[in-house]
Amino acid sequence: MSYLYGGQQQTINPQNVAMAEQELEMVTDTFQRIVDSCYKKCIPTQYLDGELNKGESVCIDRCAAKFFKVNEKVGAALAQKSQ
Amino acid sequence: MDFSTFNDAERAHIQRLIEQKQMRDFMKFYTGLVERCFNDCVNDFTSKALTTKEETCVLRCTEKFIKYNERISLRFGELNQELMQQQAATAAQQQPGANP
Repeated sequence: MSYLYGGQQQTINPQNVAMAEQELEMVTDTFQRIVDSCYKKCIPTQYLDGELNKGESVCIDRCAAKFFKVNEKVGAALAQKSQ
Repeated sequence: MDFSTFNDAERAHIQRLIEQKQMRDFMKFYTGLVERCFNDCVNDFTSKALTTKEETCVLRCTEKFIKYNERISLRFGELNQELMQQQAATAAQQQPGANP
């Protein structure tokens, strides 16, 4: 079956690569923003211990979920405005 | 994102881009953590040595942030997957008709 793979060189479509890059950038940027926002909102800076306690953990879960919801709402509102 | 229409060369190229980005992100993670723990723990400049209190704080801050990062990464992965499934479902619904 080597003729299937070893044969001619495949060409890279720059448009495909750019699309993937943009998507990657969007996802990692969103992730970084969630990390920063939810840390500010959920983790007190006294650092009484190095563990995540129950309250902090629950806060993180809810914070991440809410960030996604806000993302969705803002996206929908923007889409409507630009129509 | 749907990579199924991409050829092997494109996939390999994108894979390389992802790996480069991961390296950059790791360095950002490290410098960001230093900044965070420095800002949260070190406020006393009557001496250039770290006090015991500051050192304890920095260690806890590091430990906590690593755990924090693990948890939020997990949740982000779950929520992102949910979102993509939702989008795929919406796209499939709109498929039969033309785009408005």
